Amino acid sequence: MDDHVIGVLSNIGVVSFVALSAYLLLLTGEISFGQQAFFAIGAYGAGVATALWGWPLAAALAWGAAIGGAVAMLVGMPTLRLHGLYFAVATLAFAEMVRILFELFRYQVSIDGELVGPNGGEGFRNIRYVFDHNIDAFQFLLLIYLLLAAALLGFVLLERSRLGVIFRMIGEDETLAGLQGISVVRHRVLAAGIAGSLAGIGGGLYAHLTTYVEPRIFDVMLGVHSLAYGLIGGLGTALGPLLGVVIDIGLLESIRALAGYRMIIFGGFVALLLIVRPRGLLDETTVHRLGRGWRQIFPWPRRPNLNRRGNNA
Amino acid sequence: MIDLIQNTIDGVMIGSSYGLLALGFTLIFGVMRRLDLAYGPSIMIGAYFGTILYLHYGAGPFAVAIAVVIGAAIAGIYVERLCFAPMKAGAAIASMVSSFAIWMQLEQAALLVLPRHTYPFPPLSTGAPLAFGPFLVRIDHLIMLVSTLGLTAVVHLTLHRTRFGLALRAIIGNPVAAHLVGIDVRRAVLVAFAGASSVGGAAGFLVLAVDQQVTPMFGMWATMKGLIAMMIGGLGSVPGAVVGGVLLGIVEAHSQWYFGPQIRDLVAYFLLFAFLVVRPRGLLGCPPDSVLPQKA
Amino acid sequence: MLDISDLVTAYGKIDALKGVSLQVETGKITCLLGPNGAGKTTLMMTIAGLLHPRRGSIRLAGTELVGLSPARIVAHGIALVPENRLVFPQMSVRENLLAGAYQRNDKVGIDADLERMYARFPRLKERNEQLAGTLSGGEQQMLAVARALMSRPRVLLMDEPSLGLAPLIVAEIFNIVHELNRDGTTIFLVEQNAHMALQVAHRFLLMEQGRITFKGMPGQLAEAEVIQRAYLGTRRAVG
Repeated sequence: MDDHVIGVLSNIGVVSFVALSAYLLLLTGEISFGQQAFFAIGAYGAGVATALWGWPLAAALAWGAAIGGAVAMLVGMPTLRLHGLYFAVATLAFAEMVRILFELFRYQVSIDGELVGPNGGEGFRNIRYVFDHNIDAFQFLLLIYLLLAAALLGFVLLERSRLGVIFRMIGEDETLAGLQGISVVRHRVLAAGIAGSLAGIGGGLYAHLTTYVEPRIFDVMLGVHSLAYGLIGGLGTALGPLLGVVIDIGLLESIRALAGYRMIIFGGFVALLLIVRPRGLLDETTVHRLGRGWRQIFPWPRRPNLNRRGNNA
Repeated sequence: MIDLIQNTIDGVMIGSSYGLLALGFTLIFGVMRRLDLAYGPSIMIGAYFGTILYLHYGAGPFAVAIAVVIGAAIAGIYVERLCFAPMKAGAAIASMVSSFAIWMQLEQAALLVLPRHTYPFPPLSTGAPLAFGPFLVRIDHLIMLVSTLGLTAVVHLTLHRTRFGLALRAIIGNPVAAHLVGIDVRRAVLVAFAGASSVGGAAGFLVLAVDQQVTPMFGMWATMKGLIAMMIGGLGSVPGAVVGGVLLGIVEAHSQWYFGPQIRDLVAYFLLFAFLVVRPRGLLGCPPDSVLPQKA
Repeated sequence: MLDISDLVTAYGKIDALKGVSLQVETGKITCLLGPNGAGKTTLMMTIAGLLHPRRGSIRLAGTELVGLSPARIVAHGIALVPENRLVFPQMSVRENLLAGAYQRNDKVGIDADLERMYARFPRLKERNEQLAGTLSGGEQQMLAVARALMSRPRVLLMDEPSLGLAPLIVAEIFNIVHELNRDGTTIFLVEQNAHMALQVAHRFLLMEQGRITFKGMPGQLAEAEVIQRAYLGTRRAVG
């Protein structure tokens, strides 16, 4: 496979994690402009683990996911009472604070006579794990998509599980969900944690893909983009955000001739799309219709049967 | 002690421009109940009109100011027509994301027309700073403060003493009832958007004239400052916007003096976050449940 | 005065109004009763222009209202006192009333009407400068009615004016309805409180599940049956 294509696909894969992260929170009814913070935490965390502490990649990625999730839960708690715009702006404020903190963060260790580690605004270079361990671009691409497939499988299982129904219930009407005996607090914090971990994995992969990260990358732009991908691709399914990423990054590459005008065209396209499809291409109605068509051809797998009388839904 | 007061004075001056930025932002939020992420970039379009006028035609500050205001108003109308007017009642997130898409569009358009990193802006005044005892006050800062107060008064009078202002307050108070008393809500919102963008344009002009330059980062900067000032002052509150702006200015001035520009920004965001967690209604706003419509 | 025929309004795929036809006679009080969810508010919102019907016509003294914007419908002489009052909470009582006269520009007439409202609703005069959001439920209801009257409508629509109000206040409201009509206003009233409504109505209609199921005058149906159908809908035969 062409190097360039591998690069684009890897990019798509990594960004999909942040998009899925924002999407999960949208399912519980909250808008987040700040998932890039956990992307950053995962990137720095995993990078430090392999480059400074000598950990293997798998452990480093898990570590990135873990601190991403932990910080997300920590910040999820004081923001529990916030909703809608207030919550969204809080996530934005938090993410910007994280970004500035990384601009000030220095942690360098001497390895083989060389200083390695995050160096504030100058970034974090030489995250060279893939080179040191002879992992070529294609193999890394496979790793990215393996993990992404696992994440998507997770979403599919979530949709069919009680937890997924609870998340959507909280998304529809929090008060009502609470009256049904659901602990809204615990579930929102849980959702924040899962979303943070997702972004964290993406960040860890990103750091090793590009071997260099700097705080400037993890800005508001990335955050709003992540949210936008779900809106463009569709909120009816986890494939929606992925579709959004493919359209944006895929479009970027295919219209290379119009590179200077990319955002003008893409921006206009998104604005127009949202007028006719405010919940994206694969919105809930479309997914439902597609699902009906699919189930007529393939009667399996089934959604949970909530109709006790035995009538098939 | 002298530093403390001097910084506070500077903070109030700069903060007044933040307040004006927040004023436009809060007016848009008040009538739309949605966040316009293209607000800063709309002002930047106006700013680029202004700088072209200055660069190529040597226009003076007054003419440039008018160009900035008109440019911002036109951009604002464009955003309103595309991102807000066609959206149905429940599509709040769609509007916001759409405004973000247009933000990107406007930024790139501006970059294409004016690709350099910085463009000059005419100064407000070239005189030496005025001295009040041990304290210095720049003349252009003073002009900025007076302009802000004047414009805020104009907005206040428009809202409370004109028929159009009554219509706006009705829409802000209850959009459905506004329809029922015979207000043409769609037209009023369009005019409000243009007006709010104009106020933003004026704010933008003042900031850039003090800075004497405009950079491509200005759009994002204006949106962020306006947003922070608006939220700490209270979403949807006109006096809140100004108070929030001044508070932000003072906090920033002190933070920058003691800790430098990065900490200054950090503190600004922390202030916003702290307010949201502890008192989301801001200083002068209404409680969140009464402000927001149902979820998207 | 108001002639509605075969009105169909839908929410997505569900028809809330399934072909509604009725007339509101000039100078009379017509009352629409029915259980929750029957479509009464949908009908009111459609007449006021806030909802667009899929089919059907609404004529006010011959002029077609369907397709017009809410503002133009007000200009033609319809005023709706909405369910839940919907006063402008941050504006004073006086400003709320002035908002009601938004489309008028005869200052003398508006001032005269303001005085008339204060005379009819003395409690509003007392609270003239108070913010509408701080008024009690009954006072807000009076404000909403007065606000609607400020546009000098040809037909006054009222959607559940007794909702959430104490019985004494409800009686006051219905007194006002009666007086307004006596002074010449045509009123189309939607109500849950069948008992009170039947005291003032000249004609009444029953709406169930988006359809009109009865048209007639108070006394034509036993009040007990009316109340039953208004709250519960028609009993279906068992079996």
